[in-house]
Amino acid sequence: MVDKRPLSDTELDDLFQAARDTAPLPSGDLVTRILADAKGVQDDLEADAAQALAAREPVGVFRSILAAIGGWPAAAGLATATVAGVMIGVATPESVESWTTGVLSFDVEAGELAPLFSDLLEEG
Amino acid sequence: MTLAFDALSHVSDEALLIAFANGDREAAQALTLRLSPRVLSFATRMLGGDRAEAEDVTQDAMVRLWKIAAEWRQGEAKVTTWLYRVVSNLCTDRLRKRRGVDIDSIPEPIDDTPSADDTLQENARAKALENALAELPERQRQAVILRHIEGLSNPEISAIMDIGVEAVESLTARGKRGLAAILAERREELGYSDG
Repeated sequence: MVDKRPLSDTELDDLFQAARDTAPLPSGDLVTRILADAKGVQDDLEADAAQALAAREPVGVFRSILAAIGGWPAAAGLATATVAGVMIGVATPESVESWTTGVLSFDVEAGELAPLFSDLLEEG
Repeated sequence: MTLAFDALSHVSDEALLIAFANGDREAAQALTLRLSPRVLSFATRMLGGDRAEAEDVTQDAMVRLWKIAAEWRQGEAKVTTWLYRVVSNLCTDRLRKRRGVDIDSIPEPIDDTPSADDTLQENARAKALENALAELPERQRQAVILRHIEGLSNPEISAIMDIGVEAVESLTARGKRGLAAILAERREELGYSDG
């Protein structure tokens, strides 16, 4: 006569333990795929962040010129004409124009830049 | 800089997820190694032992985790609770599709005649349990797996399954009774007879 009683709680616990002991582990291939997906999402997040940052920089050209001459402390130490000359020299024609039209909001002849720059410094 | 993985072992899942959202590659590795085994093991049992399908579910669930990371609100839910719930839903979808295609979709039991070898017997027992689980109603199966194999608490299962703690206890009790009855036929071959 074959024993066909329902399993006891202890016997079931034994089976649950066997299940835990033989738990399937992710293959190297699966882990690689998961990490590739992770990298993809992180790359997208980084691209989104860079885009958002770029969108908040209206005077980017001005800042890059300023950085080129060593920032405001360096600029403050120079005579206005020298600074204007450096700015015109460093910047490309288009970027100077976009700076002047963007920041000063009117077109400026190259010769008028020095006095206008000193106005900007005073506002500082 | 490469950290040893155990250097991150005291960092919470949530902190790792926030770090991940900020571009930390090591956080991605730590979360993958920590969470994917649990996801795979749960999905494999829910899907009646279908390893290939369980791997697809695992990859799918982890992608969803990566994508939610940037919007994760700290202190609201446990990462594992969220993840187990996603895995449950993915498994339910697949099981529903199976039912639509073929009613007799439960995998046939393998020939798991026990032998003197302990490892073989343990594998045979685990396989028998897996087959028996596949015969339970889905919600009972889920509750039993989460409680007795994944080792989660009743409150956590309650959060994952969106039911009360009493309902969880009822499901696990009924599930265990069902398993005990299903496996009764195989008592001797599993090595649980008095003879």
